[in-house]
Amino acid sequence: MDCLEFRRRLGADPHAHDAEQLAHRAQCVGCAAAWDRSQQAESDLFAALQIPVPAGLAERVLLTQATGERRQYGRRRTIALAMAASLVAAIGGSLLWREFDARTLPALAVAHMPEEIHSLDLTQPITAQAIEAGFAARGQSLQGPLPTDVTYVHDCPVGPYLTVHLVSRVGDTSVAVLYVPGKQGGTGRDFHRGDWRGRVVQLQHGQLVMLTDQRGKQPFDAVASTVAQDWRVAIDGLGGPRVSQL
Amino acid sequence: MKRPDPVSLVVNPRQRQFEALTRAHTGDLYRFAYWLCGQDALAQDLVQETMLRAWKNLEALREAEAAKPWLLTILRREHARLHERRQLDTVELNDGIPEQAAWASPERHGDATELREAMSKLPYKYREPLLLQVLGGLTCDEIAAELGLQSGAVMTQLFRARQQLKSIMHGARAEVSHGLS
Repeated sequence: MDCLEFRRRLGADPHAHDAEQLAHRAQCVGCAAAWDRSQQAESDLFAALQIPVPAGLAERVLLTQATGERRQYGRRRTIALAMAASLVAAIGGSLLWREFDARTLPALAVAHMPEEIHSLDLTQPITAQAIEAGFAARGQSLQGPLPTDVTYVHDCPVGPYLTVHLVSRVGDTSVAVLYVPGKQGGTGRDFHRGDWRGRVVQLQHGQLVMLTDQRGKQPFDAVASTVAQDWRVAIDGLGGPRVSQL
Repeated sequence: MKRPDPVSLVVNPRQRQFEALTRAHTGDLYRFAYWLCGQDALAQDLVQETMLRAWKNLEALREAEAAKPWLLTILRREHARLHERRQLDTVELNDGIPEQAAWASPERHGDATELREAMSKLPYKYREPLLLQVLGGLTCDEIAAELGLQSGAVMTQLFRARQQLKSIMHGARAEVSHGLS
């Protein structure tokens, strides 16, 4: 290392002391003196830059940070509480809805069907006496001509309702028919639950639920209308009002 | 049974780390910020912003030894951001630094004043690497990485920075002696 390189490195980094620099400093009086002057100058520079720090600066930084953090914490807590409340409301609402929904007539009718699923496979018409006996078991008497293609009748409890369970066939489609004597009002509508399609209609003195899991040649809407009209005539009589779909 | 101190239940390790960081480095950060921007109030703002940003990114700090360079990096970026927003004059330093025996002994008072004035006149491109070296304690390689320059270029800047400091001080002395003669 020559003097020029030594001075260049000294000017760039006075605190550097690699082996080459130390060796040159040891053998060059001029550069050793320059090194001494450089250390003093560097010390003076460092001291000059040490301006006083404003009192309490660190505390003010901490206060600002802690205050901001506290505000954030409050905001996060409010959001968390709101989300928790929403979640509880959603779960509660969902449970209430499921509880309510499970007690509706369509839900009860669909739930009843697995017990008597084979009734939909029957194809042989039953007698008018058997049908009348089924209604009589529920204290009901028929007022008009019976549908011709009825393959099943039974007095079934469906949830809290005492129903007359029938199966009517329209073309190649078997439709379960649940007549609920005495039931008025409520929510009547077409419904679709799992594989089941159904319709609830209001008659004069009770409600009729029709449902099937079969897909015949005729659309369900037409089949349900035919079945509803047949049973309206049979239950309410020929002179009764037209069946109203709820 | 001794009940736990309620404060210790509240202050988590992250908060304790931040407090230690703040107390250990606020002074150095302030001085660096002051010599960078030349304004006391602005320097304090820069320290505040730097520490708040450090708090948000505290997970990025893995080793205690890396704390100071890390904070200096944040402060430089904050300063650059502020500079972009306000178009600050980064060269002009105010002369409102209070006298304090802690940083200037009586016999060196004159030198310190001249040095500070010279520092205030030093162009920003020389002042910044010099501050990183003298106040930040960074090596030439670290400064190069910080400024995105080659190490050789940084050495040249540092060399010139010291040369200019001397030149400015000699010029000031010449003006004074000329005025007296």
